Amino acid sequence: MLTVPYITNYLTEHFADDAFGTIEGYERYGGYAGYRQALDTPAEDLIELVKASGLQGRGGAGFSTGMKWSFMPRETDQPKFLVCNADESEPGSFKDRILMERGPHQVIEGILIAALATGSDKTFLYVRGEYAHPADRMEQAVREARERGYLGPNALGKRRSHEIVVTRGAGAYICGEETGLLESLEGKKGQPRKKPPFPAQYGAFGMPTTVNNVETFSHVPHILKHGAEWFRGFGTEKSPGTTIFGVSGQVRRPGLYELPLGTRLDEIVFEHAGGPAEGRKVKGVIPGGMSMPVLPASLLDVPMANEFLRERKTMLGTGGIMVMDDTTCMVRASCVISYFFRDESCGQCTQCREGTGWMHKILERIERGAGEREDLDVLLDVAAKMEGQTICAFADAAAWPIQGMLRHFREEFEEHVRQQKCPFPASFEL
Amino acid sequence: MPRITVDGRIIEVPEGRTILQALDDVGLLMNGVDVPHYCWHPKLSIDGSCRLCQVEVEGMPKLQIACNTPVQDGMAVRTDTERVRKAREGVMELLLVNHPLDCPICDQAGECKLQDYAFEYGVLESRTREPRRALKKNVDLGPTIVFDQERCILCRRCVRFCDEVPRTGELRVFGRGDRSVIDVDPDRPLANDYSMNVADICPVGALTTKDFRFKIRVWFLRDVPGVCTGCAKGCNVYVGVANNKAYRYVPRRNDEVNATWLCDGGRLSYRRIGAERLREPLVRVDGGAAQPTPYAEALEAAAGRLRQLVDAGAGERLVVLASPHATNEDLLALRRFCDALGVTSAGAAVVRGESDDLLIQAEKAPNAEGARLLGFGEPGPVLERIRAGQAAGALILGHDVLHDSRLGGPEALASLDAVVVLDSHQSALQRVAHVTIPVRHAAEKQGTFTNHARRVQRVLPAVEPAWEAWSDGEVLAQLGAALGLAGFDASWDVVAASKALEQVQPAFSGVHLQSVGDEGLALDAEAIRGAAS
Repeated sequence: MLTVPYITNYLTEHFADDAFGTIEGYERYGGYAGYRQALDTPAEDLIELVKASGLQGRGGAGFSTGMKWSFMPRETDQPKFLVCNADESEPGSFKDRILMERGPHQVIEGILIAALATGSDKTFLYVRGEYAHPADRMEQAVREARERGYLGPNALGKRRSHEIVVTRGAGAYICGEETGLLESLEGKKGQPRKKPPFPAQYGAFGMPTTVNNVETFSHVPHILKHGAEWFRGFGTEKSPGTTIFGVSGQVRRPGLYELPLGTRLDEIVFEHAGGPAEGRKVKGVIPGGMSMPVLPASLLDVPMANEFLRERKTMLGTGGIMVMDDTTCMVRASCVISYFFRDESCGQCTQCREGTGWMHKILERIERGAGEREDLDVLLDVAAKMEGQTICAFADAAAWPIQGMLRHFREEFEEHVRQQKCPFPASFEL
Repeated sequence: MPRITVDGRIIEVPEGRTILQALDDVGLLMNGVDVPHYCWHPKLSIDGSCRLCQVEVEGMPKLQIACNTPVQDGMAVRTDTERVRKAREGVMELLLVNHPLDCPICDQAGECKLQDYAFEYGVLESRTREPRRALKKNVDLGPTIVFDQERCILCRRCVRFCDEVPRTGELRVFGRGDRSVIDVDPDRPLANDYSMNVADICPVGALTTKDFRFKIRVWFLRDVPGVCTGCAKGCNVYVGVANNKAYRYVPRRNDEVNATWLCDGGRLSYRRIGAERLREPLVRVDGGAAQPTPYAEALEAAAGRLRQLVDAGAGERLVVLASPHATNEDLLALRRFCDALGVTSAGAAVVRGESDDLLIQAEKAPNAEGARLLGFGEPGPVLERIRAGQAAGALILGHDVLHDSRLGGPEALASLDAVVVLDSHQSALQRVAHVTIPVRHAAEKQGTFTNHARRVQRVLPAVEPAWEAWSDGEVLAQLGAALGLAGFDASWDVVAASKALEQVQPAFSGVHLQSVGDEGLALDAEAIRGAAS
């Protein structure tokens, strides 16, 4: 049973029914029909279909899924791999968890279709270590699928096998970055790889590999069943389909809301999630997981799709919406955010290793009442030096939220410096 | 071959290389085209993490790291733009956020890439008010290396070196983010035959060798190109010299020989330049002890001893042992000395020991192959003649023969009428030699060595002995003249001798002191004639 407030659409339609999580129940609701259809479809056509649907990766970067699949080499003697990225470690995101707990076969069906499209031999499903229950659910579903022959020696047609291996992470944010994940999967320290080579050439264990997010895979069976046009009936022209917005923070109904992309942020926050508590006002909203820049209350009238969010200097990310009301100290929030990124930086690249630590130290000093005017410009300058200059996007993810905070709440930082203390009652320890 | 443009200069580069590798291949890196870098090293895998080598590549919106961006025909690279300058400045500022800036007491000062690049590419004022990382100082990583964690900039060259070159993997990065530190596992020290290379490749003062640290400020050192004499590999070195004293060897890059590496044993062999040296000629009257004797008198004593043999037909009765530590030129003089006397029994004893598949060769001398090519081969027959009592005299260069068990110890020579030794170091031979004449070490003279792969490399005088000593070739020239041998007139011209090598061994045609340059030349294997086994 679902225990959080939610709104359903095609992904989550049957999530209230426990049976949907079992293979019998899933088949009863028409599950694996997309897979059966894909068995008789040439791989090129599958890729074209997904390209035509306009499906974008739901792991944060929003890259075209069909395009990504097309990067896998066609003719190769090497085994090819898929990776299902279930490391969901972005603070504010909890959609993949529900997709695995309530719809594990939907994930598996999506994986099988992707395997047919890319000619992959094996899938590694990498689940974040803290997700013990989702990992158990996926393991159970993989066993069921194998018993039915969906996985195993003839999974992709006669004598074309496919297996799914469920592996568990050990609790590092960076293992959600696709090449950090690959390193971790291979048993090494989770550190993103330099590119080139890209995973499609040199991925898991050195083999051609495509990495997709849990939600991305979950959309695929529906595209097979209903077609690209149907899929484009949801969302915006540039961002088709639905997504599951995970709303958390200072709202009345934090929960999971599957809505078409392009749904307005203020609609999600105030109507679906019920807005702030009695007597409080929304101050700022992080629209897509903690690494995305915050939007102030005045800028929430924005459709939740990258083409609109970019105009407001933020992005959809993972769709994890975090709401902060007027009791929140934005300096303290920035401090917490920067602590997270300081803690989680893998430490390879100079800018990220040194920049995350430096930013956190400055923010903590400001919050403790020892800030100086120049600190704000130094913060922005350090953020600029981190942005776009490192092996992976982690440094950007650490820089953007602080840039966003200073863009929209600079006067609050200045007030801290002026008063040489935090003007808010301490709501939590630093 | 792809052509690329770097700052408007068109260069042709090998296929399949990255921008930084290509610049290194054509010799332009930091030598015409400045692309500062820390984590990249020409002989290690690409890491791509220091982010200092960012350049502009036409058609790419973001700056690219030169170390990992493959070259493509027609690519246009700029290393000198404002964006590049800003990016370098940014990296330098961030690297210095946690650096202790203890240059006045840091042994790396003067050859520190952090110091150099901070001056060249950084900003000279610090904006950080935050406390710097307090980490372990003076960490004993093993028998050879001391580590300062605070100075480390985490380029991880040392980690990759241990993984990839000796493949011993002692060093690792522990922790993550700005808590990352390099260290060894408990009870597994940094101890391999190449451990001291980590100090060379460390761009900062984090890793220093116990041997060299705090001995002298590096700006007082003069680097003289030389060749390590520890084994037959002939690794290229710089001899660090000040006040006429050698303070260290550091590897000198030669991609054909030692890449950028040097084994620890070879590196420390610079100590032999100053240790246990033979400083004065010794003359021993029969039955007595060896007495220090002025050079001219000793030379005359040697000539006198040998003259007795010459008069009685030296060719049959004199045996000669060449030293694999002598230069080709010295050995040419010895060859001519033998030929003039009609000596038929000559060889070279070579000390053998451990070897590996990296640099270390079994033959523990720099010129064993050169000796063979000049006719001084396996010493067995020479030693057999001595033991059989068929020799009346011996002319011996060096003392490697003492390590050959077939000699049976120095006493085996005691019954000979004439034992003349030319040596740079003290040894037990001096107890039995009638005359011992000091000669120069390889770091004190000019000459060439032929390494195990028949590459001829030159040594140059790095220090001057503080006592009277000449090269073996020069002593032999004087000795030959004293004996009145044909073609010997007491003068010695090492360059002429080098050019004359081809008269004895045709493979030396065109290969001599003045042609081999700093990196040496390989002999033509086809041209080799009459080499001893």
